[in-house]
Formats: sequence, structure tokens, C-alpha cells
Amino acid sequence: MTDKTTHDTAGDSGRADDGRSIETDGGVASQAAQDHEQTDYLNAEVNLLNPSTPFMREHLKIVWTGFAIWAVIVFGPVTMTRLAPGVMTTQMPVIGFPLHYFLIAFGGPTGALLLSFWYARKRDALDEKYGIDPESVSTQTEGEAVAADGGVEE
Amino acid sequence: MIDSLALQSELLPEGLNISFKTLPAILVLGMLGLFLAIGFVFRVADTENMWVAGRSIGNVENGMAIGANWMSAASYLGMAALIALSGVYGLAFVVGWTTGYFILLIFMAAQLRRFGKYTAPDFVGDRFNSDSARAIAAVTTFLIGFVYAIGQARGMALVGLYVFGDFGGVIPGLDGYQVMVVAMMAITVGYLSLSGMLGATKNQAVQYVILIVAFLAGLFVVGVTNGYSTILPQIEYGMLISELGSEFSEPFVNESYYLWIATCFSLIVGTCGLPHVLVRFYTVESERTARWSTVWGLFFICLLYWSAPAFAAFGTDLYSSNVGATYGDPGMSSAAGDVIVVLATQLSGLPEWFVGLVAAGGIAAAIATVAGLFIAGSSAISHDIYTNIINPDATQRQQILVGRLSILLLGAITTLAALDPAAPIAALVSYAFSLAGAVLFPMFFLGMWWENTNRQGALAGMLTGLTLWAIPMINEVVPTYGFFGGETISPALAQWMPAIGSALIAVPIVFVVTIGVSLATEEPPMETKKIVRQCHSPEPMSQQQTAEDVVAADGGTETPADD
Repeated sequence: MTDKTTHDTAGDSGRADDGRSIETDGGVASQAAQDHEQTDYLNAEVNLLNPSTPFMREHLKIVWTGFAIWAVIVFGPVTMTRLAPGVMTTQMPVIGFPLHYFLIAFGGPTGALLLSFWYARKRDALDEKYGIDPESVSTQTEGEAVAADGGVEE
Repeated sequence: MIDSLALQSELLPEGLNISFKTLPAILVLGMLGLFLAIGFVFRVADTENMWVAGRSIGNVENGMAIGANWMSAASYLGMAALIALSGVYGLAFVVGWTTGYFILLIFMAAQLRRFGKYTAPDFVGDRFNSDSARAIAAVTTFLIGFVYAIGQARGMALVGLYVFGDFGGVIPGLDGYQVMVVAMMAITVGYLSLSGMLGATKNQAVQYVILIVAFLAGLFVVGVTNGYSTILPQIEYGMLISELGSEFSEPFVNESYYLWIATCFSLIVGTCGLPHVLVRFYTVESERTARWSTVWGLFFICLLYWSAPAFAAFGTDLYSSNVGATYGDPGMSSAAGDVIVVLATQLSGLPEWFVGLVAAGGIAAAIATVAGLFIAGSSAISHDIYTNIINPDATQRQQILVGRLSILLLGAITTLAALDPAAPIAALVSYAFSLAGAVLFPMFFLGMWWENTNRQGALAGMLTGLTLWAIPMINEVVPTYGFFGGETISPALAQWMPAIGSALIAVPIVFVVTIGVSLATEEPPMETKKIVRQCHSPEPMSQQQTAEDVVAADGGTETPADD
């Protein structure tokens, strides 16, 4: 299980001062993209509670919003059922479920799925706003046999 | 309730037609043969450098791999069992095992991809610059594999009873269920050593398709034959709920609100700490793929999780009208519960080959998961402990030998523990989740999101986590194997820190210990901090790069004294 280290031209990613131009907006970088250009991410502290770069700040805003909604989806219905069992156990019209059962059994997984979709979309939009093109780094194709199972089979 | 049902002299699911059946047996064996064949084809592909094509695998296929990797006998059999037997409490598993993926997605998936290491012990060892931390993580990985596999062995054996029949006494002193445990584990270990040679770990998309087709086909056909549902059983079972007895849907009649929360929390953090789940993110083509394949993976998982409660509802109704009252005394046994998916199909009067298909899906789920767990567990021993720590000069031969021996060891202790299992499948599996949540999740989370987490903090945190996991296990689970008089040692402790949900207590404590010790000791080296920063940088990275490479390439230039 060797690490395939390839110090190639892509090695300069992560550097801010290499003067690459942002092409997505025709060369006129937005404020966010300029911030991104001027940030040296390797010299900005990582702390969940105290984001140090504009990108991280915006990203964490999305993360915490999602987390808050998630917490309500996961623990909300069961807690409401504990607090107000009468209301929560009423039978729903048409589909016949007791309300709490439906919110937990169907609402939980579905809510998490929709949230995940929302987050992945938001994060893509954030990349775009900051002028980051995930495809900009050429994918290498020299076919090194990195095992799909994580290389655990020696 | 889970505990009271645990000890039975013989595990024979009542109502299940136990006999040798030719068609189902052919189906199960044919399926295993198919997995081996696919492994063989892919091995050929690998040597011809076809893996490049593999790198372009899209989000959907990656999502399927995540789904197949995830769904074990606990999802396929155990969840419906708990929903049928424990009602709303069983739903904690549905919620915990799906919603955890969102936490994985927002906090960890892309960052892990950027970190770029392959195994959980690798991450812990490299992030905290410590071979001791690597060793603890490796031992934890091994333990997780063991505990997790007990539930799988139980599931395989119970379903095996339907397919192959009761061979009680064939091995002196063992009853039919126990003989089946030995047989199924022997098949699994044999399959694993064959597939290991052939590199058959690329089966996941196929395994997912078999598993989900078998489960959904079973659900649809059972629903239609009995007139429960038409095209959307996942919603239509709602109309049946009021007829199933209050235990099925009444909240907190079986287990308390606290236990619901503790279980659900434990399953969520466990999801985010399980080595064989995390490993999926290291190998995708980019961090964007890491994110989107998580979304797809969750969708594929939801397909089964939306359906399990419906299967449980149908099964409960069929059991009540064909076998006996589901609730009350004696009620449905935990053994019958664990095969309720198969039982429901059989009680619907469907042909043997079709019941066999549903059974084969359960066995596929179990074998696929055990294979993944055992490979992770054995590589933790052979790679992380033996090669990295004990014998750095180990030859390839020696490593393989140690790996094989650890698979045999895992197979043997799992078989022994599964002969008289302490709890139903889903509960057994959740002990592994408590462990992953208490020990590995805090390391990944803090290691990724707080650069000042250091070696001392990680060591203290992991040891605390292991201890906090072990206490309720010794309190509740070890006695069921005949130690300490067989009774839970402290019922009060079991109430507040149940083994099934011990991470609710353990995780906050481990966080506090890790942060406290990290603050009290020296900060980690700048190199390590930069690797963490690189994991969060939005700058794209090339496919083969790890965060470490980027930091090394960045080396030396302008490092302002910011610490």
C-alpha cells in the first residue's frame, strides 16, 4: 500500500500567488474570487468555531444551517411525540399513518436525503462564486493500480 | 425487551419452514459463484491496466458501492425485526442509519478525500504523528470487525436454516442454528480467501443490485399477494398500522424516549466513524465526486430504508394471522423476528425459489459486509500493527501470512461469539457503532476541524473512548455469555449508559478529554497543521495527490510565524 506521490505541475494548487487568471467571469474576478486569489489557505488556521478565510466562513454558514435543520428532522418528531403524544399520534388523512410514525420513519430518511442534495448543490454554487473549477486540475491517467477497496489487500 | 429475549437454549425461528430446498440452495451458491466470477474478471482487468476506466466511474456507481458497502444483514433482516418487535423504537435504526450520512457529507467526506490516506488507522497515525495512536485505531478497527460480524453470522445462520435445513447434531453438541453458524462462517472465510486472491472486492455494484432487487421484489409481491398494497407499499402500509396492535406504533411503550435518542445518536456518530464506510471516500475520483456520491449513496440506502418498515408491517400481520400473536406472551421470538423478511414471503404462499431469492439477498448482504469488515480488520493487524510497529522489515510473504491468520482468527472468534448470540442482529451490530462512534468519530472530527488537536489529546481521547465503550459492554453483554451469573451487573448503569447507545455519553466526554489534553500540551507541528488546512482549502487537487504531498511541495516558502 504505497502512496502514489506525484509531484507534478498540479503541485502548485493551494498557492495563491501564482497569478492564475480566473476565466469563468471573462477575466474580471468577482469580489469573492479575488478574495480567493488572495488567500493562502495553507497559512489560515482551521478551527470549526472560528473560520479564518472568507471561503470557510461562507461554507460553514451553509454547514451550520444544514446541521440545524438536520437536528430538527432527526430529533424533532420523536421529541414532539414525547412532549405532546396526543397530537402527534393522531391518524393522518388519506395515508392512514399515525403522524409521529410517518415523520420518523419516512420524514427522517427523506429529510436527510433532500438536505444532502441541497448541501451538495450549495457547495457547488460556492465553488462557482469563488471562481473555483473542480475540473481545472487535469485528471491523471497513467493507470496506476490503486486498489478500489482502499488498498487494504496487500 | 431486547435483553429478555436474548438467552434461548436454541435459536429456531418459529413458523419458518426449515428444510433443505434445492432451488434456494442453488440460488445462494450460484450467487456466491457469480461474485467469485466477477472478482476474477476484474482481476484480469486490473493487470491490463484497465483501472483507468475505473477512475471515471460516476457518482451513481460510486453511490451504489456506498450502498452495498453499507447494507448488511442488520439493514436487510435486523431492522425489519426490530421494527416488528419494538415498534417505534426500531425506527431509531431507520433514522440513525440514514441521517448519519448527512453529517458525514457536511463535515467529513470531501476533507477525507483531500487527506488522501487509505485506512482509518492510517489517518489517525498520520494526522497525530503517532504509532501508538495508529495501533489503538487498528485494534479498534479489528474489534469493530469482530463485533459487527457477530450480528452478520447470526443473520446468515438463521436464513441458512430456511435454505439448507436443520442439521442439528451433525457437529456433536451443536444444535441446528449453531451448525449453520459454523457452516456459513466457513463458507464466508473460504469465499474471502478465494476472493481475496482474485481481488473480488469490486463486486459492490452487483451486490447492491441483487440485494435491493431481492428486497423490493419481496416487498412488492408480498404486498400485492396479500392485498396490502399496489404500487407504493412504502406508503401504503400506513393503512395497515392501526390493525397491528398498539405495540407496533404507540410511542415509548417498548423502550423509553431516552433510549431512543441514545440509540439514534450512537448510530449516527458510528456511521461517521466506521472504517469500512470512511474508506469509500478515499477512493473516489475527486472531492466533488465524494460529495455527490454520498448523496447518491444515501438515495440508494433510502430505497431499502423506506421499505423496511413496510416489510415489518406486512410480516407482523402475516405472523399474527398464520403463526400466533406477535405481541404478548409468548409473542414472536427474536429469532423469528430476525427472519421476518423471509418469513413474510414464505407465509404469503409464494413459490420456494422466490422465497429463496429473498433469503439469498440477506445472505449476500451479510457476506459482502463480513468480507469488507474482515479485510479491514486483517489489514489493520498485518499492515498497521505488524508491519508498521512490530516488524518493519516484514516481507510481502510474512505480511500476507499475518493477514490470512488474522482473517482466520476473526472467523473463529466471530463463530464462537455467534453460537449463543447476546441479542438480535441489529442490536449486536449497534455495539460496533457505539465503538466506532466513541473512539474513531471524535478523532476524525476533531482531527479534521481543529488543527490544534495533537498526539497527546488523541491518545487520551481514544483510550477514554475505548474504556467508556467497554464499561457498558461488560455490564450488559458479557454476562449473557454466562459470566458474572448471567445477570446485568448494574441495571442503573444499563439504564443511563446502555451498551446499545453508549456513544451518547461517551462522545461528549471523549471530546472534552481530547480538547482538554490538546490545550494542556504542546501544539502539533506546523507541517501537520498545514495538512489539515490543505484538507479544507477549496483549491482543487489532482487525483493522485494527498494533502501531505501538497504541503511538502509548498515546502519552506513564506511561512509566517503565526504560532
